[in-house]
Amino acid sequence: MASTVSMTTRTQCSIPSLLPSPSKPRTPASQSFSSSSHSQFHGLNFSKPASASAAPVPSSFKTSIVAKVNKGQVPPNFTLKDQDGKAVSLAKYKGKPVVVYFYPADESPSCTKQACAFRDSYEKFKKAGAEVIGISGDDSSSHKSFAKKYRLPFTLLSDEGNKVRKEWGIPSDLFGALPGRQTYVLDKQGVVQLIYNNQFQPEKHIDETLKLLQSL
Amino acid sequence: MSSLQHHKFLSRSPGQGFHHHHRVIPIRYATSITTITCTLIKDNPNSNHLVSQPQRVSRAPPVIPLTANDPGLKSTWSHRGWVATGCATVLFSLAKAAVGAASVHIWLEPVLAGYMGYILADLGSGVYHWGIDNYGDASTPGFGSQIEAFQGHHKWPWTITRREFANNLHSLARVVAFSVLPVELVCSDPVVLGFVGMFSGCIMFSQQFHAWAHSTKSKLPAAVVALQDAGVLVSRGQHADHHRPPYNNNYCIVSGIWNDLLDRNKVFEVLEMVVYFKLGVKPRSWSDPNSAWTEDEDAEITI
Repeated sequence: MASTVSMTTRTQCSIPSLLPSPSKPRTPASQSFSSSSHSQFHGLNFSKPASASAAPVPSSFKTSIVAKVNKGQVPPNFTLKDQDGKAVSLAKYKGKPVVVYFYPADESPSCTKQACAFRDSYEKFKKAGAEVIGISGDDSSSHKSFAKKYRLPFTLLSDEGNKVRKEWGIPSDLFGALPGRQTYVLDKQGVVQLIYNNQFQPEKHIDETLKLLQSL
Repeated sequence: MSSLQHHKFLSRSPGQGFHHHHRVIPIRYATSITTITCTLIKDNPNSNHLVSQPQRVSRAPPVIPLTANDPGLKSTWSHRGWVATGCATVLFSLAKAAVGAASVHIWLEPVLAGYMGYILADLGSGVYHWGIDNYGDASTPGFGSQIEAFQGHHKWPWTITRREFANNLHSLARVVAFSVLPVELVCSDPVVLGFVGMFSGCIMFSQQFHAWAHSTKSKLPAAVVALQDAGVLVSRGQHADHHRPPYNNNYCIVSGIWNDLLDRNKVFEVLEMVVYFKLGVKPRSWSDPNSAWTEDEDAEITI
């Protein structure tokens, strides 16, 4: 869907300031921008429809590549290796809610905080009948030592070449310098019910996803 | 390991980067050496697939002197000479700024420029400190000796309080002398000179501020304590946080005024992520510190 530029259709974002700021429509500054809110450090919830007050985008700034996975859609299946080198498919989880969280890198401070927060709330996710899957571009051995070091009870998948990240259209931060931190909640039918993006408040991913899971 | 390399920990403070001592200190040496070198595979920009492992070269920590009178902590005439040169350079810059300002009847702009020099020196000290603490090792060209010195400082932070004044400052003083003198010879603008003088002076004395931040309150002059409490100089508490796990905050050591802003907004974390994704190098702070960096709390100093 490329004809309409909306809140959910963008692949790259510009972060003009490192200081936390409330979500607001951003004026695009390059050809990779789209009209409305982008990945921000302070969090962006895509479960709401695009605001009518979003600023219109000059046609020269419309992105030619759009996010392929939006709320209400069934994301494309993938098969990736887990921390033990085993192939794991998303399709295997159909029939139960799944939290798929994409993060930049094992061992980085924010990714560690996020993983540990998922770990600490894992019982709540299990109680909601949900599985948690973490995905980054690191290889299986990196995932294995990351999972072992922090006693992570959930699956970490290795997205070699960041293929799935690109396929799902997860926006980057800082003019493409950082892979975005974005979490999807899929319901039992495999339909996306929440997309939450927040690069530097990683613990909020857990709060937002649990909030939604409890309403499913 | 040679006596010279042992001596590196004994004779060099974190501010010393380019000066090598060659005096032998009669102490016993560790007899076992452990070296671990891992392969660092940089990011392939085509695949965006990162396979990197931390590069570690750990050596058996050298035995350190346990006396306050160790020669490695004393100032030499060479140290004093460089500190005197550095101070003269800074004072000349400030004096020339004052004379220039008086001649054109301005004062606010040079004073403001000087203030900006003080403010930005704190930021500069933090960025440099962050780089040295997280990247490279003893074999890094140009910076290896400083990285090693900072490693030694993290292992024995109290040593800096035992260094004599010129011993602590001479390396920074030399850098200031070489970099500032050309500027003040060609430039007569009082605003520029005011900034340069204050910036370089604060950088040169940052090692002294750093040493004071490691001292106990009872051993410091009342004026220094007052300046620390007022936030003019980096405080003991703020800098102590830097020496506690996860060792990734409070990098600034002039006034520390930037520390809260930089840490609250995760500026260094952002930089670390960018460096990692662009160059494939993980900072040391992402891993548990090895014994070479962890404070040796068992080491005692005797007087």
